[in-house]
Amino acid sequence: MTGYIIRRLLQLLPVVIIASVGIWGMIYAVPGSPIGAIVGENGTQEQIQAAIERLGLDQPIMVQFWQWFKGAIVGDFGYSTQSRDPVLQVILYRIPATVQLGVFAIVVGLVLGIPVAIISAVYPGSWIDRALSGWSALALGVPTFWLGILLILLFSVQLQWLPSASGYVSFFEAPLQAIKNTFLPALTLGTYVSGIFARFLRASLLGELKADYVRTARSKGLKERDVIGRHVLRNALLPFVTVVGLMAAAFIGGTVVTEAVFTYPGIGRLLIQAITTRDYPLIQGCILFILIVHVLINLLVDVLYAYIDPRIDYS
Amino acid sequence: MKDGTRRALGLAKRVLGRKGALAGVLFLATVVFIAIFARWIIPYDPIAQDLVSSLEPPGRKHWFGADELGRDILARVAYGARTSLLTAAGAVTVAAFFGVPIGLVAGFFGGWRDAILMRIVDVLLSLPGILFAMALIAVLGRSQLAALVAVGITGIPSFARITRAQVLSLRKRDFVMAVEALGGSSTYNMFMTVLPNSWSPILVQVVILSSVAILLEAALAFLGVGIPPPTPSWGEMLRTGKSYLYEAPYYAVLPGIVLTLTILSLDTIGRTLAWALEERHEQAEEEAEEGDKRSAA
Repeated sequence: MTGYIIRRLLQLLPVVIIASVGIWGMIYAVPGSPIGAIVGENGTQEQIQAAIERLGLDQPIMVQFWQWFKGAIVGDFGYSTQSRDPVLQVILYRIPATVQLGVFAIVVGLVLGIPVAIISAVYPGSWIDRALSGWSALALGVPTFWLGILLILLFSVQLQWLPSASGYVSFFEAPLQAIKNTFLPALTLGTYVSGIFARFLRASLLGELKADYVRTARSKGLKERDVIGRHVLRNALLPFVTVVGLMAAAFIGGTVVTEAVFTYPGIGRLLIQAITTRDYPLIQGCILFILIVHVLINLLVDVLYAYIDPRIDYS
Repeated sequence: MKDGTRRALGLAKRVLGRKGALAGVLFLATVVFIAIFARWIIPYDPIAQDLVSSLEPPGRKHWFGADELGRDILARVAYGARTSLLTAAGAVTVAAFFGVPIGLVAGFFGGWRDAILMRIVDVLLSLPGILFAMALIAVLGRSQLAALVAVGITGIPSFARITRAQVLSLRKRDFVMAVEALGGSSTYNMFMTVLPNSWSPILVQVVILSSVAILLEAALAFLGVGIPPPTPSWGEMLRTGKSYLYEAPYYAVLPGIVLTLTILSLDTIGRTLAWALEERHEQAEEEAEEGDKRSAA
């Protein structure tokens, strides 16, 4: 198993390296000089000189890339041109907020999605199945940002129950306040997650329900609850895990958009701010960071898949 | 009637026979019609400001209200359809133009060409589409062309993968091998033999990717990195509408409904098309089997 993980990690290496060449090259594609992009438009003469020396911009291009790459490996992406803080520090500061939003959204998605999937798979073709399929089509089809706006219109403007813009409060420090602040963003993003569950877990469950062991379990007198809960659901989760990997990209994109809707101070909003202020070192840092997270989620899915299915040969 | 036309008509009939797809086609046709003829249908200029009616609620003058600069919201949604549809069409063209040949070459030759091309596709896929588009726009600056190219590039991997899979399934079939044996060049074989037999999954992808492209363009505009104002765009309208949720809650409603229905329509049509092609494929195989039986008897 360890060997398998290491080998998969090594396979990811070229992807990450090629992508970082692209991210590094970004600076050179920006109209104007890379110096302007690195120190910002209002950089002083000393800052420009310092950047030239630090980045070795008078050196051959390969050497320049190597310098940047060496720094990037140990987490040194340079300094934000806006706040003048180290990029890594700025990013790390925003991580807890995004992680909390992501976890809350997944919880919402599970709570809404799994029952929907089970009910519609148990009564396929019935009116309730058709209604729930409509729900999943809507959950997957409605743009996240518009859903967010609708939820604000309902819960903040009409009912005035929840704030329309939410700062980050840690769940471990003030659980109630954290839930109140994160509820709408999590519901927005979680609706999408529930759509994935409703559509793909349903398909997966339907496939499993036709299996022989289900008939055996029923004929030996097991209650339907136990048949589904103890046998079918477990097996159906297996093919579903790969779907989770495929949906990771959409989930990350959804997080960025959701953070923008609720002006929620996470990584996504940081990236948007960096783009609007043309803070290139910060843009590079954010994108590389998100890329690595995405790649690792996919790796985790593969490993998890190999781990839960003993039939997969990972030698 | 030519065989191809007849088959296309049969397919259209089968797709339109499904209520969902029919509704989708009708809705899209309306949006396209309004986008084309907006100048004659809508009595308002989408860009001209009229500060007197700033944030005017829906009424007889402005059916869906006016925005913060007094511009008619219905007019902006109608002209926004143009922006949306043209950007999506351009983006899908870019994606297919690069993605299909990549998939063809990778699947047809295999080996090192396949390894290199698919690795590049993997890299493109390793970054969520919206982030890739944002990075590209950070470099290119905000413009309609930048949005189009950025959305287009994010669509390349799906075309490449789908074409490659299709080519792999055709590569060892008799009619492809026959062209090879007769000395047809690889280029001829790829584009004249394999490609014409691969169009159905590509067509489905075109429709589905159009819906993705519209969503992505709107998302970029919503994030403030898409097509720059004052060009009317649904995403941009939602972005500004969000700032006036308390004063003008109607602002974001119409653009959101039209955007959502457009995306859902394309998605439904794409999935119905996939289903219809699948069914026809199965039917064709059954017929072929029966034919075999008959000739055997």
